Amino acid sequence: MGGFPILSAMTFLPLAGALIIMLVRAATAGSRDASSSDTEGRTALLAGLIISGATFIASLAAFGAFDASQSGYQLVEQYSWYRNISYKMGIDGLSISLILLTTFLIPICLLASWNSIHKRVTEYVVAFLVLETFIIGVFTAMDLVLFYIFFEAGLIPMFLIIGIWGGKDKIYAAFKFFLYTLIGSLLMLVAVVYMYQVAGGSDFEILEKYSFDPNVQTWLWLAFMASFAVKLPMWPVHTWLPDAHVQAPTAGSVLLAGILLKMGGYGFLRFSLPMFPDASHMFQPMMFALAVIAIVYTSLVAWRQTDMKKLIAYSSVAHMGFVTLGVFAFNEAGVQGAIFQMLSHGLISAALFLIVGVVYDRMHTREISAYGGLVHRMPVYATFFMLFTMANVGLPGTSGFIGEILTMVGGFQASTWAAFGAALGVIFSAVYMLTLYRRTVFGKITNPDLNTIKDMNRIEWICIAPLAILTILFGVAPNLIFNITEGSALRILNLMAGG
Amino acid sequence: MLPDILILYIVLAPGLVALTGLAHKQIGDKIVMGLTTAVVLSAGALSLIQLFAYVAGLGGHTGTEEHHASLVAATTGMEIKQHVITLMPWISVGEFQANWAIRVDTLSIVMMAVITGVSGLVHLYSWGYMSEDPHKARFFSYLSLFTFMMLMLVTADNFIQLFFGWEGVGLASYLLIGFWYQNKAPNDASIKAFVTNRVGDFGLALGIMAVFFVFRSVEFGPVLDAVRNNVAVVPVGFTEAAPVRDLMIPFLHWNLNALEVIGVLLFIGAMGKSAQFFLHVWLPDAMEGPTPVSALIHAATMVTAGVYLVCLLSPIYEYTFWAAGMITIVGAVTALYAATVGMAQNDIKRVIAYSTCSQLGYMFFVAGVGAYEAAMFHLFTHAFFKALLFLGAGSVIHGMHHEQDMRRMGGLAKFMPLTYAAMMIGTIAIIGLGIPHTQIGFAGFFSKDAILESTFAAGQSKVMFGQVAFWFGLIAAFLTSFYSWRLIYMTFHGPKTWEAHDHHDNHALEDVHGVDEAHGHAHDHTPHESPLVMLVPLGLLSLGAIFAGVYFYDAFVDSNNETFWAGAIYRAAENHVLHDRHNVPEWVLYAPLVVTIAGFLIATFTYYFNRGVGKRVADSGGPLHSLFYNKWYFDEIYQATLIKGSAMLGNLFWKADKKIIDGIGPDGVVAVTKASAGRLSKMHTGYLYHYAFVIIGAALVFGGILWLRAGGAN
Repeated sequence: MGGFPILSAMTFLPLAGALIIMLVRAATAGSRDASSSDTEGRTALLAGLIISGATFIASLAAFGAFDASQSGYQLVEQYSWYRNISYKMGIDGLSISLILLTTFLIPICLLASWNSIHKRVTEYVVAFLVLETFIIGVFTAMDLVLFYIFFEAGLIPMFLIIGIWGGKDKIYAAFKFFLYTLIGSLLMLVAVVYMYQVAGGSDFEILEKYSFDPNVQTWLWLAFMASFAVKLPMWPVHTWLPDAHVQAPTAGSVLLAGILLKMGGYGFLRFSLPMFPDASHMFQPMMFALAVIAIVYTSLVAWRQTDMKKLIAYSSVAHMGFVTLGVFAFNEAGVQGAIFQMLSHGLISAALFLIVGVVYDRMHTREISAYGGLVHRMPVYATFFMLFTMANVGLPGTSGFIGEILTMVGGFQASTWAAFGAALGVIFSAVYMLTLYRRTVFGKITNPDLNTIKDMNRIEWICIAPLAILTILFGVAPNLIFNITEGSALRILNLMAGG
Repeated sequence: MLPDILILYIVLAPGLVALTGLAHKQIGDKIVMGLTTAVVLSAGALSLIQLFAYVAGLGGHTGTEEHHASLVAATTGMEIKQHVITLMPWISVGEFQANWAIRVDTLSIVMMAVITGVSGLVHLYSWGYMSEDPHKARFFSYLSLFTFMMLMLVTADNFIQLFFGWEGVGLASYLLIGFWYQNKAPNDASIKAFVTNRVGDFGLALGIMAVFFVFRSVEFGPVLDAVRNNVAVVPVGFTEAAPVRDLMIPFLHWNLNALEVIGVLLFIGAMGKSAQFFLHVWLPDAMEGPTPVSALIHAATMVTAGVYLVCLLSPIYEYTFWAAGMITIVGAVTALYAATVGMAQNDIKRVIAYSTCSQLGYMFFVAGVGAYEAAMFHLFTHAFFKALLFLGAGSVIHGMHHEQDMRRMGGLAKFMPLTYAAMMIGTIAIIGLGIPHTQIGFAGFFSKDAILESTFAAGQSKVMFGQVAFWFGLIAAFLTSFYSWRLIYMTFHGPKTWEAHDHHDNHALEDVHGVDEAHGHAHDHTPHESPLVMLVPLGLLSLGAIFAGVYFYDAFVDSNNETFWAGAIYRAAENHVLHDRHNVPEWVLYAPLVVTIAGFLIATFTYYFNRGVGKRVADSGGPLHSLFYNKWYFDEIYQATLIKGSAMLGNLFWKADKKIIDGIGPDGVVAVTKASAGRLSKMHTGYLYHYAFVIIGAALVFGGILWLRAGGAN
């Protein structure tokens, strides 16, 4: 403690930036006219890029100060807030890796919006920056109340991003998203209040040490699960995701799939396992069943989709199934694999949504049947698309493989049935991804509009190439991540075992 | 063995040059082609030097009589000659440790020679075959990528890197089958290949999980050592140690012998990659790829990965009963099944594809009965003559302006005499012509007879399915001879049927086969001999098809085999199959020769002297012919059951999402809300803010009340 509060600085930097952007806009509001609104938008985007870039650098600084050989919370900042609730922040290997993913993806989101968002650009940038603060807050909070505030507050900007900058059914999608997540949140809120009362505080470290009565654990576990299951999302509360993705703008989908879903997995690892170990054990079979259903069921549904984004959204549900499988394997391979799978999926799904965005910006349709033969006009695009297709089917050498195999290895030790079911999903993922690729990229050009389509431009390159590099880097040298997350994975398992 | 630096060059350089394909626009096609070809050819030369030097270093051949006694005695306690170059750690998660490494032992030395040798020649050949293709750079970089992945597979020192290579070659195969991606057939075939292989990989992945569960390691060294020495292991979650060969583990619903579970699961992977019965359906369709690809990937190397896997894991299969039996019976059935289908096909490449399938079956059943060395020997010789046959067929197709239907060939011998000679050599090698008790014979003679003799011997000592495998293998040898000669006669002999078809027909067919229409000889449809760059590989492979058998016989399966394999292949002390094959009755040695000649005579009668007979049989469409011609209806059955079934399930689940989950969930809530508060449905963008804040506010108030009531302020 003491020293520069780097975590707070990193967390609130985007929010401060958002405020400045709003203030500047309010100050110049009088001098605006119609022709300058586009310039204003570019300026806001540029400002957003600079702010989120600075946040990324701040997160790297936090990472630099982080000692991976220590397993507990680090860089802790604590200020008394109200009674036993404090403003307490800290990071461990699990949270810093997700923070880095967040700060890395937000600038890409903003850059990807450069040519595709023309309406209310300033508000758009502000929404993203505010959301960034909330997401980072979720991962840095070390107090349950603080966590809950960030966790819930993040709903609003995401809701707005879908509701304002979304497609034609955006209201339905936004409403569905909100309804699902809110019901989960309310149940969690009840649990939060109860825990605070019983344990005498909402500090993670207090809650981790407190042993809740096994019967009570069951209810608390279910209440938390309701919220995390919606976020992850798990079957059968996944149906908001395809709609949200389809309606959200590209950057919104990137953020949703890349980061927001990970809050569910994070929650299971941060709360369910260490704080409710008995209940977690009790519900393990159910969670395995839901994980396998998610993997097989949504993979098959993904195969039948005619909308590119919907297909990838369903594929996300399937891939998050591996996270559930790994987390509830309760062993090192499973938990490490689950964390890795979250990071890897953050990169791969983000890239896939960007890939869809590239052609959507040109053709304004996501219908698979409107495409075909893109490789003839867009060879670079086809190459990137192939790479991420393979990463999504979990080809070894890409990061997609590492998470899948480790969660399955971990799952196998707990239940051969679960591993068996999950492995089936590996077959289906090949089916739907290769079918998608073949129908959009291969074949002859049949839609005459595609005859003039242009290959990826420089901005798209800058957005997608870093994701490609990391996907391969982490596929070949995953220890770069395991070294960071090992301490917290072991700590969680240790807490679970009552240590 | 070569110095480390050269080993590294052989394995890694093809991977690096493959990347030049990404920059072909900048550096030009010729540079990519030149670099990849030069690197892979040089790697091939080095690997062959390594193999020859290794064999030469084994010392003089001992006489056949003296070695028999020592053979049995030496089966145990052999030191394992192996050299591992560790590049860097890959996955380190607790006990789950896997490195990027290069393992050099006899198995990988043999495989490296086969892979880089054939690949180098295929690269060279493609200069001619692909000369008119607009995407040459892409083709060559895929070929090199494949070579690299295959080398990673065979030099892995752990299951995970093996899996990397395993799926990596699958990727390369997928890309190359679908190389002509503008057309439907190659696209269908490439997806079919990838997905069918994934079904196999499903088994392989589960097998690897089971290996880690039992041994707490995924590295070959510790795992195979534990099996060899029957070490007591404690699987995860077990409290007591048990000797691994007797260990029972829970799998799905049952409690089963650990090695049996592992053995069967890993073999499912091998079935996929090596196109064995049930999972063979992708291989014939893979012929949609350019012919050099068929030669390299779908004949000589990738499809043999399953055989390699079984041999590598010989310690495991030595101590399994059911898994080994499964290998034997699946191999035997495949050998026979594919041969029956091969008889009835008209596409020259498909005949050879089914032949490959069938020959792989031989390798498996002999490995199943415990003569892994014989399996590897056949893998080795087969690589030469099958690559030769494919490249020869490619030469025919090239010369015939992309005609693949044998019914439209005939009489080509005098138009392309060198190709004809090469195909003859390949055919004599595959049917395994040679004189028993002598050193006279083509490559296939030595390896196939070693297989049949070993299998017969195994059958006599009551190895499961040994006798079945022998008879199936013998019948398949008869069929092999028949369909191979049928191919020769339909293609090279008899009247020219190709003149009967005019220009346009050919073009229509070209389109079907996905070849670019800009074929340079469009106006001159006389068949022509292929250029030198294609004939040189044919010549070199012909040498292999003739001499690989006699030269390597001692080392692979006979007097020198103990020192040659140096522990890379393991046989249990009580497994004497390779020795017993010398004691089989005399008729077993002559039976293959007899059936081969019989097959030759029948083919000669029906397709040389009475060309009409074969056609009449085909036209009459008897049930047996229909069954063979339609590949026993496997595609139709899979289409109707598995594919239709999954699609229906997918649609059903999707409907469930919409109707049931959404209907009860959000849509239901909306409907109820609408009914109760009529005007709520008028939601517009502007109102969204309000709703959001109202709901969040409500949540917080609700929480606050709860908190207070629970005594939060006390």
